[in-house]
Amino acid sequence: MPRFSVDGVEYEAAEGRTLLQALDDAGVLMGDVEIPHYCWHPKLSIDGSCRLCQVEVEGIPKLQIACDTPVREGMVVHTKNERVREAREGVMELLLVNHPLDCPICDQAGECKLQDYAYDYGLSESRSREPRRALQKNVELGPEIVFDQERCILCRRCVRFCREVPETGELCVTSRGDRSTIETFPETPLDNDYSMNVADICPVGALTTRDFRFKIRSWFLEEVEGICTGCAKGCNVYLGAAHNKVYRYTPRRNDEVNETWICDPGRLSYKRIGSADRLQQPLVRGELGVPEVVSVDAAIEAAAARLRSLVERKGPGVVAGIASGHSSNEDLFTFSRFLEALGTRNAGVALPRGEADGLLREEEQAANGAGARALGFQDAATLAERIRSGGVDAVVCLGHDLLDPRYLGDSEVLASLDTVIVLDSHVSPLERVAHVLLPSRVAAEKYATFTNAGGRVQRVSPAVEPGFDAYPEGALLARLGAALGFADWSAAWEARDVSRELAAAHPRFAGCDWDSVGSAGAPLAGAES
Amino acid sequence: MLKVPYVTNYLSEHFADDAFTTLEGYEREGGYTAARRAIHEMEPAAVIELIKDSGLQGRGGAGFSTGLKWSFMPDDDERPRYLVCNADESEPGSFKDRILLERGSHQMLEGILIAAYAVGAEKTFVYVRGEYAYPADCLERALREARAKGYLGENVMGSGFSHEVVVTRGAGAYICGEETGLLESLEGKKGQPRKKPPFPAQYGAFGMPTTVNNVETFSHVPHILRRGVDWFKGIGTEKSPGTTLFGISGHVARPGLFELPLGTPLSEIVFEHAGGVPGGRKVKGVIPGGMSMPILPAGELDVPMANEFLRERKTMLGTGGVMVMDETTCMVRAACVITYFFRDESCGQCTQCREGTGWMEKMVRRIERGGGEERDLDILLDVAGKMEGHTICAFSDAAAWPVQGLLRHFREDFERHVHDGKCPFPASFEL
Repeated sequence: MPRFSVDGVEYEAAEGRTLLQALDDAGVLMGDVEIPHYCWHPKLSIDGSCRLCQVEVEGIPKLQIACDTPVREGMVVHTKNERVREAREGVMELLLVNHPLDCPICDQAGECKLQDYAYDYGLSESRSREPRRALQKNVELGPEIVFDQERCILCRRCVRFCREVPETGELCVTSRGDRSTIETFPETPLDNDYSMNVADICPVGALTTRDFRFKIRSWFLEEVEGICTGCAKGCNVYLGAAHNKVYRYTPRRNDEVNETWICDPGRLSYKRIGSADRLQQPLVRGELGVPEVVSVDAAIEAAAARLRSLVERKGPGVVAGIASGHSSNEDLFTFSRFLEALGTRNAGVALPRGEADGLLREEEQAANGAGARALGFQDAATLAERIRSGGVDAVVCLGHDLLDPRYLGDSEVLASLDTVIVLDSHVSPLERVAHVLLPSRVAAEKYATFTNAGGRVQRVSPAVEPGFDAYPEGALLARLGAALGFADWSAAWEARDVSRELAAAHPRFAGCDWDSVGSAGAPLAGAES
Repeated sequence: MLKVPYVTNYLSEHFADDAFTTLEGYEREGGYTAARRAIHEMEPAAVIELIKDSGLQGRGGAGFSTGLKWSFMPDDDERPRYLVCNADESEPGSFKDRILLERGSHQMLEGILIAAYAVGAEKTFVYVRGEYAYPADCLERALREARAKGYLGENVMGSGFSHEVVVTRGAGAYICGEETGLLESLEGKKGQPRKKPPFPAQYGAFGMPTTVNNVETFSHVPHILRRGVDWFKGIGTEKSPGTTLFGISGHVARPGLFELPLGTPLSEIVFEHAGGVPGGRKVKGVIPGGMSMPILPAGELDVPMANEFLRERKTMLGTGGVMVMDETTCMVRAACVITYFFRDESCGQCTQCREGTGWMEKMVRRIERGGGEERDLDILLDVAGKMEGHTICAFSDAAAWPVQGLLRHFREDFERHVHDGKCPFPASFEL
């Protein structure tokens, strides 16, 4: 473990790491130690071409690029002296010679490394009187990505990303010298499931996503830490929110989960938060079988009445509880206690499946399958079979994953049941058969934790408030339990408190409550990661 | 009958003889005896030591010790090893490798065999610039002859040592003459220099240990083995032994190739061998070693043409391509030609080089057209300074040095453009 010093502060590096890597490992890069860089990215191969990260290493006459200089025992590095500063200023001046400086209309403004470093190392006046290079401004590289050739500083992160991460290699540098530009290979558009990451790693405004560009200035966004709930990976994201609306997901680095990436479908899944098919009003099927809009209280009363009546007639064994992999640990913990208090053991979790891609996307298309299993929920396939064969009279259903072809396929079989109670965030065919429908919140609207496929418990915080009466599933179940008159049961429900109760009650969740897991999450007891 | 070189020595002694281009003719002059002796009678390490002792410097431009370079090949490494012969001669003003291939392919091939044996290489890739179609054909013919005679392939000269030589033709990029740019191109990739380390001896062609030498460097090797280290060191200067092929072009009466000992004064080359400037005009400046080397003014032509002396004058021998400019020459126009070339040929990886070459070219062109300002000259020097020593390969330095040289010795030309608002050298060559 070589020890080295930067500006008089000692650090330790793992074997074989370069200066920038070692400082990144130590968590001080661009914090305590500021070494500006463009081409270097912690998750891509070292390119060494932007030349901005030059530092002085004692004993070596020339300045060295920190990205590619291996740390050696006793290495003494200076990053703050005049020589280093001059080198940075030199690179910045040259980078700006051809840059259009169209910041006022550039979508990257506010989160642009060229702006940031020009502020730190730029000259106040341009010494170049020469015409800037004129190139294409609006090149469609693929369905999601638009490229401004003039803004590009040729750091080639995007080229390396496509070669090294999705390994699709659509991008290349064509031409030479100051005519160089990024292009796709002929008839190979930038079209892969990870293509939009190039916009994140582009340090300037050259690559933007068709989805986000021109929607809002980045400085109006509040970046809320959360996770993508599209699959069991639980990629860490920032939810960029303003005006009570989520405008985008961008990947949030977590080396234990998604490194610095997210898949395109996951990134675009933010659209589900405010989509038109959100379930917005509680519905209760009236005596004529027509659904009527009621208050949440009235819906809970109606649900309690139906369940009470059924249990009185047939006992609790005819009630089945179907959880969803989209429900949080807290919701599921409350659900399992609810079913226990009701007296039924018929519980299962419906988990839609897709295809794993070997990169980030997991087979399970829900964020909390592992949490459901850890809480004792079995796969709902057997239970679905019982429902189909008429062995169940009532279903309390979270979400609508039960409609996945692996379970019921459609809602028809439920039509003959005595009682169907659905807590859901989005409209689904369950609406046709449910006796009571209660709108629930999505992950972006609540405090919650989810357990990913690797057994890591990760938390989310509310980025927006729903514009209608919706509550977390756990909160609705707490009120339903209270309405049913369960013993030792409270109608009050607060996710972070429940999270603590779960951590105290369940050995595998010890230390995994919302507050303790922190922004990077923490593994379940006995989990791999 | 070939008319060049005008002055010959051991390398080019038989270049006028067509028979020398054939294997039979080459052997008649003692060819392949050095390779035979090395492969049959010498230990590889002894060959490396001998070349190290000879003081042979690489003739590709950097002037690095050839023997030392060979010794960098890693010991105890099971991977296949390669030699690469850099025949991508692209430095403006240089045309020695072309003649060495056309008239002396067997001589170079013998040098390759000796080097391959010394470093344990199983294969040599000769990377020939695409424009050198005829020289490449000459080489391929020589390879066919050598293969037929058992000098290449399995069991070279019955020794148990095997070696194959493959010719690869480039596609016309200057940067593919930079050794790692060449390796990338050789592998079928875009010709862009690699960051170093790792150096080619550790990670070269196709990731294998590789030694890269210039055409002329290989060509010296058989002579050193045949006639000995002492003979070789008796030619040239103490630090720069041997001859080199000086290519003289520009405003001289007899442009051409001259094989002369290193250390020959530049004035002797220009005035005696090349016959001086025609029409009684005076020399204004001379680029001593290919376009990337800083120019020398007429008053400094006494310099002996060897790196230890040229460095004192802030220039280098480079490829030995001597370009002579007479008194009619506008040095700003010369700067236009030079900066255009380097802007065109920069691979574009490193910021300083990509942006600096373009900026310098635009500035110089504006000055030449009369739109320059006094401060432009200092900006030019400043940009050149930023380009120098901060990039992956030496191209950026090579682009900066000639501009620095021109401003060092001919700043007045630039200043007159600025003051007059037009080019003051109407008789100069046209752009």
